[in-house]
Amino acid sequence: MIRNPRRIQLAPGYILHHRPYRDTSRILEVLTRDHGRLSLFARGVRGPKSKLAPVLQPFRLLLLSWSGRGEAPQLTGAELAGDPTPLPSASLMAGFYLNELILKLTTRHDPSPAAFDAYHAALESLKAHAGLEPTLRIFEKRLLEALGYGLDLTSETRTGRRIDPEAHYHYRPSQGLFLTVADAPGALSGRSLLALANEELGDERELEDSKRLLQSVLAEVLEGRELATRAVARAIARRESRT
Amino acid sequence: MKLSPSLSKLIDALRALPGVGPKTAQRMAFHLLQDGRTGARALAEALTQALESVGRCKRCRMLTEGELCSICSSPQRDATLLCVVESPADVLAVELSGSYRGHYFVLMGHLSPLDGIGPEQLGVRELEAILAEGQVREVILATNPTVEGEATAHFLGELATRRGVRASRIAHGVPMGGELEYVDGGTLAHALAGRHAIS
Repeated sequence: MIRNPRRIQLAPGYILHHRPYRDTSRILEVLTRDHGRLSLFARGVRGPKSKLAPVLQPFRLLLLSWSGRGEAPQLTGAELAGDPTPLPSASLMAGFYLNELILKLTTRHDPSPAAFDAYHAALESLKAHAGLEPTLRIFEKRLLEALGYGLDLTSETRTGRRIDPEAHYHYRPSQGLFLTVADAPGALSGRSLLALANEELGDERELEDSKRLLQSVLAEVLEGRELATRAVARAIARRESRT
Repeated sequence: MKLSPSLSKLIDALRALPGVGPKTAQRMAFHLLQDGRTGARALAEALTQALESVGRCKRCRMLTEGELCSICSSPQRDATLLCVVESPADVLAVELSGSYRGHYFVLMGHLSPLDGIGPEQLGVRELEAILAEGQVREVILATNPTVEGEATAHFLGELATRRGVRASRIAHGVPMGGELEYVDGGTLAHALAGRHAIS
């Protein structure tokens, strides 16, 4: 019996990462809206005559076609979908960070349109030169929600009472938010929590609290795995501080 | 049939070359040992000698024999210009263009944050040392027009600017003899963004 190879036509997706394979090919790691994250084998896309090479770049919405099953189906086509605006150079490191979070937190072949939409929205906002920090925080929050690690940012865990913007809270890993005093170490202001819940991060304090909260949730979810992009960003910052 | 150990070893060794699979390696090995014995000896000698004497230039990291490469040690080259490229092959490509008379710096790669490749792996310390000498007036960032190449150029551009050295990025856009109709949207967007006035 001959099994029909699976053919997918023009699925919206992004390239997250790529690595060379043999002399002229690449293995692409892509995130698609409807088929989740998967590897694609892109034959002959590194040669000087390859028409696809300029198209197959990260951070651009593509329409991807592939066929075959198994570990790495073969890419049969790729075209640019819509706006070809590149990610601004200053936002590229942030873009790599988004990619690494998707790579480390999602499982292959498990579509999550919400995660895809969060990623797409984050890139669009970076392309529109929106604030870097708020964009990253909102992406982290949405990604965690999409993957089932969402936090209840509107009620206190023990009492179930609504978060009070004037009160302060403490985050306990895998439990939730507990009322604390304002000067407790690591205290998060209720205002910050509500701002994150509403995805309207404005002032410094709200951004700082959100970053601290999300980093501890991410650390939990990553189960001790290091983020390579964070290490490289630190190395870059070290070089920058030398001048 | 089982091949002799030396022959299998040679076939395996030839597969280290780019574009050479098992079949090609076998054809090469048979050729070298049958009709091409003189050539084979010359190849073996050249390879041994190159392995022993070719290293990296202390200054620009280009492949060279001796301490400094011919470009770094030439008084004819303009030492106020520094062109940063990803690989030794890129140095040759720029040289062949015949339009550049300055010095080079070879990164031997590009920033690849997802693979953990950061500034240290690209010889940024050596580059900083060259900039610190104060002779370089302009750094030309000729990394590839990929997102990794772009990220590298951005990082190095900032590094140069903070040291008061002018940083420029090579233009990218429509190839010579090309037709707009066949150029992809991303490249065209770059070409439009980098347009310049006709004077």
